[in-house]
Amino acid sequence: MITAISWKNVWRNKTRSLIVIAAVTVGVFAGVFSMAAINSSVLQRIDAAVNEELSHIQVNNKDFRSSTDVRNVITDYPHVISALESTPGVTNVTGRIIIRGIASTAAKSTGVEISGIDVNKEREMFKLYERLIPGTGSYFEEETRYNSVFIGEKLAKELNIIRYIITDESLEYLAEEKVSSAVISKLETLKGQRYTSDKKLVKAYEKLLDPSEAEKYWWQIKEAAWSYREGSKLILTFLDTDNNQTGAAFRVCGIFRTNNDMFEELAVFVPEDELRLLAGMEEGTYHRAIARLENDDLTKSVTREVESKLPDYEVMNWKEIQPDLAMITDFMGQIYAIFMVIILAALAFGIVNTMLMAVLERTRELGMLMAIGMNRRKIFVMIMLESIFLSIVGGFAGMAVSEVVIAVTGKTGINLVKYSEGMEAMGYSAHLYPTIDIQFFITTTILIVITGIISSIYPARKALKLNPIEAIRTE
Amino acid sequence: MKVIEIKDLHKIYNSTEVKVHAVNGVTLDFDEAEFATIVGPSGSGKTTLLNLLGGLDMPTSGQILIDGTDLSTLKSSALIDFRMRNIGFVFQAYNLIPVLTAQENVEFIMSLQKMAASEREERTFELLKAVGLADRADSRPAKLSGGQQQRVAVARALASRPKFVLADEPTANLDTKSASVLLEIMEKLNKEEKITFIFSTHDPRVVKMAHRVITLEDGKVVSDEER
Repeated sequence: MITAISWKNVWRNKTRSLIVIAAVTVGVFAGVFSMAAINSSVLQRIDAAVNEELSHIQVNNKDFRSSTDVRNVITDYPHVISALESTPGVTNVTGRIIIRGIASTAAKSTGVEISGIDVNKEREMFKLYERLIPGTGSYFEEETRYNSVFIGEKLAKELNIIRYIITDESLEYLAEEKVSSAVISKLETLKGQRYTSDKKLVKAYEKLLDPSEAEKYWWQIKEAAWSYREGSKLILTFLDTDNNQTGAAFRVCGIFRTNNDMFEELAVFVPEDELRLLAGMEEGTYHRAIARLENDDLTKSVTREVESKLPDYEVMNWKEIQPDLAMITDFMGQIYAIFMVIILAALAFGIVNTMLMAVLERTRELGMLMAIGMNRRKIFVMIMLESIFLSIVGGFAGMAVSEVVIAVTGKTGINLVKYSEGMEAMGYSAHLYPTIDIQFFITTTILIVITGIISSIYPARKALKLNPIEAIRTE
Repeated sequence: MKVIEIKDLHKIYNSTEVKVHAVNGVTLDFDEAEFATIVGPSGSGKTTLLNLLGGLDMPTSGQILIDGTDLSTLKSSALIDFRMRNIGFVFQAYNLIPVLTAQENVEFIMSLQKMAASEREERTFELLKAVGLADRADSRPAKLSGGQQQRVAVARALASRPKFVLADEPTANLDTKSASVLLEIMEKLNKEEKITFIFSTHDPRVVKMAHRVITLEDGKVVSDEER
């Protein structure tokens, strides 16, 4: 009966209870959804790091990372490969030749890290080929494989391989994207002009468009003017095993777009045989062996096992290679905690306030209950249950709203393209697909109930301090 | 058979600058099934005496024995339990639980006593019938008149089959008709259930119906008249 009374008491002042429940709902939703957005950003970054850039474990010659010398190869590659393949949890293994060099076009040159890859193996182990920008070629198709190079969009821009030109096609694209006809007609005056960077393009159209138009359509205009000539050439130069400068011209067979500007600017992929030949390396030699694991949770244990098997080599997992990423992953726990404290503190204050008002309003009734024989424990429980009901209803409503919004935005994504420059410079995607672990929901629910209990203590104690005689007399 | 024995009871309030001797050496007995009223001018100590009898307040000195149990020997939690099982209360302002129906209000104290549901229902029905509100069992207090609410309060006070019922100015907020109905019901229940009723009142209608009238003045019993 006490439970029933508590529940009925919650709805005694419907407006007040609904306001508190709404506040709790909004608070929980804001916290959970923000958490899901941050979480998705970190997960996407980790996913990209593992699936596109690093894989799980890398084995190098011990001197490889501290020196640019091409001769620092894995001395006994077959032994390293068999050690990796025989380790439980390892699902696939490949080798890479890695040489630091310079990529240049007629316009510019820049430092790069050239990876000589086994194209078929890489396709099995990495998903970078999925990041190919449509219309820029292919990922080492057979007929174009020879002398082909696969590069990032950022590098292509840097080397002026990608330009920005307003053409008739661009204007048609803008019309399809529902850009206003006034804007399109203004842009017509730029037709045929070439811009070597998006910044120059922006400068040009900003002179023609109103600031609001420029702000509204900047992304569509950039996409429309984006232009690339298939089969553009670039020269890769580097030192061979005899320390002589060598190099060759490569045709761009495809351009990839990731969320990591630094990776896009540095990484250049060519077939391993060509690179080995140019560098004068022996057949079957590699600088790096790369292993993929069944799942990420095995990373630490497999790394330690491989280390024990290959004491003469440098064995590193993705967390060790990119400690900043590992730190963010670990930091996520603390972010969770900070968010939870904020959500729960807001919830607690709301409930304490409401319950105190409820106790003060019901002084006479509580006094009567004490007089007729309801003991202090039961009165305490009754007030506590009211707080718990309030927090549970608000908490669950917040969770339900969060679940729905996360499910929807998890599919549609949240477009933060306005901030893409900053986010991608740090390696994070500007398209977020919020996601949250079921564990987070369970933990949050438990914490909401605990908060409800804790926040009921003060009002409940206040009720216990009432003197029945005085309470009954209170008007 | 004596239900209540009050021996040389004193209650002094020290909270103000002046000592107030609210109850000053009261010695009284109440038998089973009495229908007694305590009268006296305002400040004579009626309500204080009722609070002491109900175990809501502790005397400065003296003893209250209920069925032989000295209230002052009971600890706080035991006293609450004792109240629940032995004393019924009817308040001037009815004090029903607004979120519960008439039936639930009557049942409430029995549920605190962990009485079986079937027994609870039976007793509730019996009492609501006795106070003439069987047809309003599902109404919440806000839907009942003052007189009806006070009748529910009487049914609630009797629900746990207490040794006695303390009613502090039960008719003060009622019109003449409602007050008469209420008093007739209480008198009937007093006879049927053999439960002692003790009123504190200013109301001459209550005094007229009472079988015993105790008059207090300055905290002392100045007359104790059986009728």
